Amino acid sequence: MALSLEVRKALPGFTLDVAWEAGDEVVTLFGPSGAGKTLTLQCLAGLVRPDSGRIVVNGTVFFDGALGVDVPTQRRRLGYVFQGYALFPHLNVRDNVAYGLRHLTTSTRRERTREVLERLGLADLASRRPRELSGGQQQRVALGRALAPDPALILLDEPLSALDLPLRQALRDDLRAVLAEWRTAAVLVTHDFTEAYRLGDRIVVYEAGRVIQTAPRAELLWQPASERVAGIVGIRNVLHGTVLKATPDRIQFSWRGQLLEAVNSPTRSYLPAPERPLAFFIRPEYVRLIRKDRGSPDPGHHMNLMQGRVVGEADFGTTWTLYVRLDAPGAPAQGEYDLEIEVPRLVYEILDLARDRQWQLSIHRGSIHVLPSS
Amino acid sequence: MTRRGLIVLALVLAVARAGEAQPAATTLVVYAAADLDTAFREIKPLFEKATGARVTLVMGSTGNLAKQIEHGAPADVFFAANESFVDDLRAAGAIIPQTRALYAQGRIVLAVPKKSAVAARELTDLLKPEVRRVAIANPAHAPYGRAAQEALERAGVWDKVKPKLVYGESIRHALQFVETGAVEAGIVALSIADAPGIAYAPIDPALHAPLNQVAAVVKRSPHPDLGAAFIQFVNGAEGRLVMKRYGFLLPGEF
Amino acid sequence: MDFFPLWLSLKVSVTATILTVATGLPLAWVLALKRFPGRDLAEAVVVLPLVLPPTVLGYYLLVLISRQGAIGRVLDAAGIELAFTWRAAVLAAWVGSSALFIKAAQAGFEAVDRRLEQAALTLGRSQWSVFWSITLPLASRAVMAGTVLAFCRALGDFGITLMVAGSIPGLTQTTPLAIYDLVQSNRMAEANTLSLIAVATVALLLMGIGRLARLRF
Repeated sequence: MALSLEVRKALPGFTLDVAWEAGDEVVTLFGPSGAGKTLTLQCLAGLVRPDSGRIVVNGTVFFDGALGVDVPTQRRRLGYVFQGYALFPHLNVRDNVAYGLRHLTTSTRRERTREVLERLGLADLASRRPRELSGGQQQRVALGRALAPDPALILLDEPLSALDLPLRQALRDDLRAVLAEWRTAAVLVTHDFTEAYRLGDRIVVYEAGRVIQTAPRAELLWQPASERVAGIVGIRNVLHGTVLKATPDRIQFSWRGQLLEAVNSPTRSYLPAPERPLAFFIRPEYVRLIRKDRGSPDPGHHMNLMQGRVVGEADFGTTWTLYVRLDAPGAPAQGEYDLEIEVPRLVYEILDLARDRQWQLSIHRGSIHVLPSS
Repeated sequence: MTRRGLIVLALVLAVARAGEAQPAATTLVVYAAADLDTAFREIKPLFEKATGARVTLVMGSTGNLAKQIEHGAPADVFFAANESFVDDLRAAGAIIPQTRALYAQGRIVLAVPKKSAVAARELTDLLKPEVRRVAIANPAHAPYGRAAQEALERAGVWDKVKPKLVYGESIRHALQFVETGAVEAGIVALSIADAPGIAYAPIDPALHAPLNQVAAVVKRSPHPDLGAAFIQFVNGAEGRLVMKRYGFLLPGEF
Repeated sequence: MDFFPLWLSLKVSVTATILTVATGLPLAWVLALKRFPGRDLAEAVVVLPLVLPPTVLGYYLLVLISRQGAIGRVLDAAGIELAFTWRAAVLAAWVGSSALFIKAAQAGFEAVDRRLEQAALTLGRSQWSVFWSITLPLASRAVMAGTVLAFCRALGDFGITLMVAGSIPGLTQTTPLAIYDLVQSNRMAEANTLSLIAVATVALLLMGIGRLARLRF
């Protein structure tokens, strides 16, 4: 499956101008509400006509503004799972799933429907109406209905947002399993980064009608293209310092009176001049607290040493988040604190962090990620 | 219940169908002014017996009927309550001119509900404050209404009575107002005033232009001969007998 | 007791209602779902027959369909008689009751979740198929209600019918016209009987339809 999309659409108060490509994988369109993700999906499906652009799926041109090509929705043969599922309330589960199979002979249709129902565990619910089903069951029916005609591509609009939080996690994994098992390429819209990360192979980040980064999911986490993206993806500890010296390998910079060294970005050649501002981030779980019972810290091993005090904390059950203020003059970088640190519960207890609040920290130079200015 | 309901419905429909008009012989459609309601209902079976044809009576105010005929209504013969509407039709080429015939002269009377406490025998009685509403046929298209207006004008009470007037679509309609007591008095045709519950007093015919009633055969009629025959029947011995009983003056008497 | 008016009224109303539904469904669908220039005007025109006095409406119709009129001329050439026939009564009933049906059906269609129709499209169905399998079934309550309203209105039409069909006994005198005629002639006993039978017939009909509708939906 190959998808190439380029769409421009002007609406009152909003303009969509995006372009991205995808292969035989699950692509998640991620970004805040109102960024144009659902609109993109609608353009893909042919429910909305772009002002200009080009949409090609598997070599078939669905839309070409310049050539005046606009294949109607019913001929695009894409599966679509709507937000809220849009199940037909007057049909039972079996008829909902069979709805798109009109073109098959009666016996083939019956066989296929049965197969789909079984694979999704819906066989016992075949005669029920949608209003009698739970949220999870409705999701499976919606999936079954969209997948039954064996589309090359399936589109999902916020498939999990209609559900309660605990259910969401369970069904998220359910969904991933179904998509993997059916090996259908998918384009999925969500405003939840965990969902986007968990479900997608590739993530397209949307903001205000534009794409600000397209990348395989890991790359997004570790190499956000800009501070903007980092903010949207929800990265913590996005900080600003001043460059002292930059080489292709390392960048030395100052931050909050500290002398720090980070690894330079391996894929991008980023050589800011001295005195230039530098944006970077540090993942909370990669800040090390130096144990006090093991002697003084070893500079070769413990890089980027700092000293600070825990001024706040939050219990997340399996982990604790600590808010640390450095022993350095001046206002803290993030309001009341400088760094957010995440430690497993075990560590919290062993180090007696509830009472012992003064600590030395170390951050490996590879764990400081430089954000190119955008 | 549904089954029973359906059976009942089927029965009703069967009965209704049974009553469907089955034209055996020729049907003559007679458009007649409302003042002929009572008289023609008697004449109709007489004519049917005499000729073997069937008669359908369509009653209304002369003006309304004339307008329908002008627009192609399937009338065979038209009995107006005056002359001018027929003459208009003649000018429009809708009637056979040779068949135009005078058949009666009408009279108007002042009618009150019998049980009414209010007495009105003279037109001047209509000025009484207890007489709150007076019904006449619409002068615009009913000749008897026109005559009522003329009489009120000549009697010198038109200005005071006009605000009390209620217009009926025809004199049948005006009579209805009187019968139901919706009005305290009404001016209607003598020929239909003899209804139960109605008391009436004659109005001096000198107070209005004579109600010379004219009939004619409609040009479009598929059986003009039958139409002409009906006019002749009304003007003949049997017809005149009936007409006289209902207070009409007949040709030769006026 | 002449039952012809009863039979005629049923015949006219059923025919007029069938006509109303056949012409009203597509019109209601277009008004509910499509945006086009002049849409507001179209909606106003649809409602017009409800606003105009029946006799005025009837008069304009008569001018159109009488033999000299624009439409009447064409029909006359084809040998079809319209004015002062039972067909004119059907026309009168149709004109008088269409708006009730269209408005009810339109509201029903508007209330259907558009995404359901979109989902149906993505599953490969044509617009036509989507209308019959999704939109109409989901609006069926409103459409049924509109049909019943239109039927009752058709049965009771007086002013328009009087103008375009006349009140010709045995030919175009529908039940309302017949009752009026009887009352005018002061034949109250017959008037009451006819009224009672008419009311009873319609009540039975509606109860039967109501029961049928509840069973199916």
